[in-house]
Amino acid sequence: MKELLSIEGLSKSYKHVQAIKNLNLLISEGQAFGILGPNGSGKTTTLSIITGIIRQDSGSFSWFGEESLPGHRKSIGSLIESPHFYPYLNLEKNLRIICDIKGASYRDIPRVLEISKLKERSKSRFSTLSLGMKQRLGIAAALLADPQVLVLDEPTNGLDPEGIAEVREIVIEQVTGGKTLILASHILSEVEKICSHVAILKKGELLACGPVRELLSEEEIIEVSCRDNQLLKQKLRHSKLVREIEPGNGVLVLTLEEGVGAGDINAFAFSNNLVLSHMYSRKRSLESQFLELVKEES
Amino acid sequence: MRKLLHIEQIKLLNYNPFRITIALYFVAFALGILIYPAIDKEIPVISLSDLFRFPDVWLFLAWITEPYNAVLALVVIMITTKEFSDHTFKTQVVFGLSRTDLLLQKLLAIALLSLFATLLVGLTSMALGFIYSYKLTLKIAFGNSWILGRYLLASFSYMTIGLMVALLIKNTALSLITFLALRVFVDPVLWLLLRNHEIKWYLPFRTVTRLTPVPDLIEIFQRKMNSSEPVDEASLEILPKGLPPWLTILMVLLYTGLVIWACHRLLQRRRFT
Repeated sequence: MKELLSIEGLSKSYKHVQAIKNLNLLISEGQAFGILGPNGSGKTTTLSIITGIIRQDSGSFSWFGEESLPGHRKSIGSLIESPHFYPYLNLEKNLRIICDIKGASYRDIPRVLEISKLKERSKSRFSTLSLGMKQRLGIAAALLADPQVLVLDEPTNGLDPEGIAEVREIVIEQVTGGKTLILASHILSEVEKICSHVAILKKGELLACGPVRELLSEEEIIEVSCRDNQLLKQKLRHSKLVREIEPGNGVLVLTLEEGVGAGDINAFAFSNNLVLSHMYSRKRSLESQFLELVKEES
Repeated sequence: MRKLLHIEQIKLLNYNPFRITIALYFVAFALGILIYPAIDKEIPVISLSDLFRFPDVWLFLAWITEPYNAVLALVVIMITTKEFSDHTFKTQVVFGLSRTDLLLQKLLAIALLSLFATLLVGLTSMALGFIYSYKLTLKIAFGNSWILGRYLLASFSYMTIGLMVALLIKNTALSLITFLALRVFVDPVLWLLLRNHEIKWYLPFRTVTRLTPVPDLIEIFQRKMNSSEPVDEASLEILPKGLPPWLTILMVLLYTGLVIWACHRLLQRRRFT
């Protein structure tokens, strides 16, 4: 796949706060790329830099293999944080301004209003819209001139469930239609539902990056106990069957190595003269994995 | 350029406070002009309606309407700080305008407002001139119309100072207060403090004001009386002298350039939230 956005050694600090630290990312055309991280992890700062709102302290980034951003702005539709438009202008006039900025035809306005389901409100003032509608207008504006890339920063932030579903539906439609998406979010399920690739940030540092399936695959967790949990723990530690052992409430919580199953653990315990009195297998949720990944690195 | 102008046009023509302030500017301008003939009845020695005759009307009107430029500067402050409070500077950058474009956009709006103000002064001068003049030749009619060029520069300079204050402070009320304080308080105080020094003529607001100076009333009066006697030099002392016109224009151009440069720097450094 062709390279779309390359970020090299990007750093930015606000007074004493290091917002992002030596960030390296490579995003290819056609990817739905999620930037995942808790609040304050540097997601918005990263998107603000790559869309030219703020300047980095050091490092560089290039769109479509070129370092100049202004020339490619029309190919990039962005929505950074909450959308801000002229409150006294109606939706159509607000979009006319964006058309003028992007050099798009006013004839594109009905199309994007249709996509964002705001056609009937085209003559309403921006100030009269609900939060969900404002967010959808932001996406409509980003879609003007039919850009190749969508850069969205927490597009469902602050929305009610219905609003979240509406915005997600629009974004998924665009991704399915072939647009490259760069989506920042702190909601794991959102990234999982929309994105094919993900980068996980924490305190401005990149913790992990790769395909969503690989990075956030559901791991098997097994709870076991026997008459001597300490001995079992010692034996398992040297067995190469488990990646991690955590003490639970009278049980041992095991994260298994790839290819290892509950039966292997049972057989291993039995071969060491330990009879398991409790065995419970469960899948670890994506959310707990994400929290763990973020916790581990702190 | 056209694109930037069109964006400003959509924003401003649909913004009620802008429309209302411009309407008030018109009303204040018209009232200002109407007041002078009324005053005229109170002063028998020199008829102020003489000042409405060609070619003196150009200088007189440019002088008396110069303070109205402050109103236009307040309009510029209002429309610029509104962009900060609505976070729309950020939106425009997100969608593709550069920070230099943001500055150009505002400078274009200022240029248009300056043209509008100059045109208003020009048309009013012409109308009053035709009404009050009894001797009319093309040379007399347009004799002092060159002042409109200076008026345009004064108007533009005033508004760029307003723009700089707005970009620096961002808050509407504080920006308005700061600008008025600079114009009404700081400038006169500095003038008083520096009254014995030639440098007082180089104060920014002073140089802008001196672009449209007080007309030479004594000369006008003398002309009216058809007197060929030389004017007493001492009587001319009542008129402020100041810098030569070319130096005043140069200083204003220099100050305006500096102010635009400062605006550019401010916009480049601003973090839009």
